[in-house]
Amino acid sequence: MLSGLVGWPLLAMVGVWCCPAAWVRRVALAGGAALLLWTGWVLAQFDVQTAGWQMGEQVPWLGMLGLNYALAVDGLSAPLLGLNSLVLLLVLASEPPVVRPRLYYSLVLLTGAAVAGAFLAQNVLLFFLFYDLELLPLYLLIAVWGGARRDYAAIKFLVYTAISGLLLLAAFFGWAVLSGAGGFDYEALRTQTLGLGAQVGLLVLLLLGLGIKIPLVPLHTWLPDAHVEASTPVSMLLAGVLLKLGTYGLVRFGVQGLPQGWRVLAPFLAGWAVVSVLYGSLMAIGQQDMKRVVAYSSIGHMGYVLLAAAAATPVALVASVAQMVSHGLISALLFALVGVVYRVTGTRDLTQLQGLLAPERGLPLVGSLMILAVMASSGIPGMVGFVSEFMVFRGSWPVFPVWTLLAMVGTGLTSVYFLLLVNRAFFGRLTPALANLPAVSWGQRLPAIVLAMLVVALGWQPAWLVRWSEATVTTWGWR
Amino acid sequence: MKAATAVATIKERLLQGGALLPDTPENVVEVVAILKSYGVVLGYYWENLIYMSQTQFLVLFPFFKYFNGEINWRKLLRHWNHDRINYEFAEYCMRAMLWHGSPPLDRYLDSPEFAQLAERAIQAKIRGNFLLQLLHGFFPEFLPEQVKMMVYTSVLGQFWRVMSPLFLDLWERYQRGEIHTIKDVVDHIRAGLVQAAPQPITYGVKIRGEFYPLVPETAGLDFLTAAAVPYVEAVFFRSFPFMGTVSYNAQAYQIPADQADFTYGALYADPLPIGGAGIPPTLLMQDMRHYLPAELRQRYQQTPRGLGDVRVKICESFQKSMFCVTTAAIQALAPYPLTSTDPQERRANEAYLDQWLQRLRDSRLLAIQG
Repeated sequence: MLSGLVGWPLLAMVGVWCCPAAWVRRVALAGGAALLLWTGWVLAQFDVQTAGWQMGEQVPWLGMLGLNYALAVDGLSAPLLGLNSLVLLLVLASEPPVVRPRLYYSLVLLTGAAVAGAFLAQNVLLFFLFYDLELLPLYLLIAVWGGARRDYAAIKFLVYTAISGLLLLAAFFGWAVLSGAGGFDYEALRTQTLGLGAQVGLLVLLLLGLGIKIPLVPLHTWLPDAHVEASTPVSMLLAGVLLKLGTYGLVRFGVQGLPQGWRVLAPFLAGWAVVSVLYGSLMAIGQQDMKRVVAYSSIGHMGYVLLAAAAATPVALVASVAQMVSHGLISALLFALVGVVYRVTGTRDLTQLQGLLAPERGLPLVGSLMILAVMASSGIPGMVGFVSEFMVFRGSWPVFPVWTLLAMVGTGLTSVYFLLLVNRAFFGRLTPALANLPAVSWGQRLPAIVLAMLVVALGWQPAWLVRWSEATVTTWGWR
Repeated sequence: MKAATAVATIKERLLQGGALLPDTPENVVEVVAILKSYGVVLGYYWENLIYMSQTQFLVLFPFFKYFNGEINWRKLLRHWNHDRINYEFAEYCMRAMLWHGSPPLDRYLDSPEFAQLAERAIQAKIRGNFLLQLLHGFFPEFLPEQVKMMVYTSVLGQFWRVMSPLFLDLWERYQRGEIHTIKDVVDHIRAGLVQAAPQPITYGVKIRGEFYPLVPETAGLDFLTAAAVPYVEAVFFRSFPFMGTVSYNAQAYQIPADQADFTYGALYADPLPIGGAGIPPTLLMQDMRHYLPAELRQRYQQTPRGLGDVRVKICESFQKSMFCVTTAAIQALAPYPLTSTDPQERRANEAYLDQWLQRLRDSRLLAIQG
């Protein structure tokens, strides 16, 4: 059953290469839709009351290397699988590529399969393989369909992520050797006793490796460049799903896998999280490119996940998962809207954009959704951003009150940079230069509308978001 | 410098008998077609204004004033659904005229003669109505102000009763192949205005079968000075800042007479509305949208947004047409025929045009030069 989550996108990929040229997009969309339906079916079978792994599948693969094809789902991975399938379908439904559609859709589908595989992997080596598998397609997605400086951005992404992968590999090998587990099966590794020093050492490697992916300051510099040069759907994929591999890895291998070491490092991690939050927010204030604003905002908001994971109270751990999903939805929405603005106006420069909310000749619906998205990102009640951020602060406050207070300042700064963005680009008088914008089709609006509806729906009914992980992750905390 | 050159070009064009709007085939069809739809809408407006002035006289709660006497559920639902003619626009224009005033009309409305006639009509109306008698007793200036408003309602109705067929006739002449240039358009409008100029403006109401004159013919008010010129002044040059952006007490004569204080009228309206001050007459655009000739609709459809921003496009076309009406007014009020070659007359005309162009400096005149 779980293999379907990896298999559907791969099957669609084959279909994309075999079908007539005119059917490529439809086949890819069908594959994305099938994956989403399959995910829905898996989640329907998932027992939210049960803590621990469910629906496990295991096939011996390379026994001598300790590598098994082992998949399972738990409360941490279930909501992220849903997020991955949803964002993947919306990415496929977004603006089609101008050139090489077969290759483009194949790479997007491959990325989706790799991410699902990483969330499901029960073997750390298998996790690493899936983690690294998405590297190449994403590199190509930026390098082939990116903007003017796509080569630079793609190479930078490749180098950073490759280093991230090497650090992870080193950590997993170290874990396997030091624990004496005799393989890479996660449960075997996790249940072995490991000295505190070894745990801290492994965690440092993991933090550096996953910190690049999240990304945490100062390991973040690849992200703004990648976002700016990537096309809109790729940015949605990157912010919506791929960054979550980093935070997923931290919670999975750090909080659950190496809890004693995590406990020692937690105060430092909370501080690091706040630095990321404040740095990302302050940098966002100074940007003139809409996409850079959202990219730095992403860096800031991923810091909240680390803060919650560091606190590791039951509420904080649920919050960390909620914040991953919340950020995935909101950032994908923001990038989708920035993409529409760029496609229609030909610019993302906030010094050139003005008055886009104008009712007749502007982009009123896009502008309205953008206001909704920035409100959600700023943690305004009634939307999913409020739920996750409030839970992060509520869960972290008893453990790190000072860091939590400082992180709250980041929420205020979010309002500042997003109000600046909305005020510059959407309010005021539409300039004559923007007076003859082409109309935005419903196809272009659809991904943003779907995401906006989810952002509001989960804001009103947070139980739909947190019910998946409550039973599982609350057993991992030690506070 | 660029603006100065453009203004000089416009002035030269006017002196050669041309118009404020450049003469191009595209402009001709755009202006003629938009004036056709304007003519249709004005037809609805004047009928309602005349209806209100005659049947809603001193009705303090005129809930059904836009229904022209035909009240049924279907019409009520349509009214609430806004799938109808927005008569509110006509009322806004009337109020703009009331607030800014029509000098000859206001002189008469402030005269003892009018006060006497108004009081007579008021007494006839409030006879047997205790509440209105009480109101009039406590606030003796209230009902006369309402009567003045009814006078303006009728005056605007009478003005548009002339203009509506004038624009519809222009469209018919265009279809018969009699209109080819912007000059033809201006000539048609000017001829219509000149013909209607001496037409008397009168008003009176029937109360319980008896007729009560309020603006008799002896008041000496005519179409041009009491209705047309004040309308152009109020609506083209001054109106539409009153939608909550500027607050004056018109009854207390607080509205400045200086034209420089008002650059919000139809000629100044921003076709890229954001809902702030200087909004274009959106209700009018909404109404005209229903009556666009196929030629103009097709032209609009060929643009990037098609009919998605049709109201903005109507606003732009409407402004062009209003510059034609303004040209007709400029020509009609010029000290000498503008094409005169007599040096002295030409100098006088140039000075006259300089004043007009100075007045239109902040309008969208340069924006429509193509």
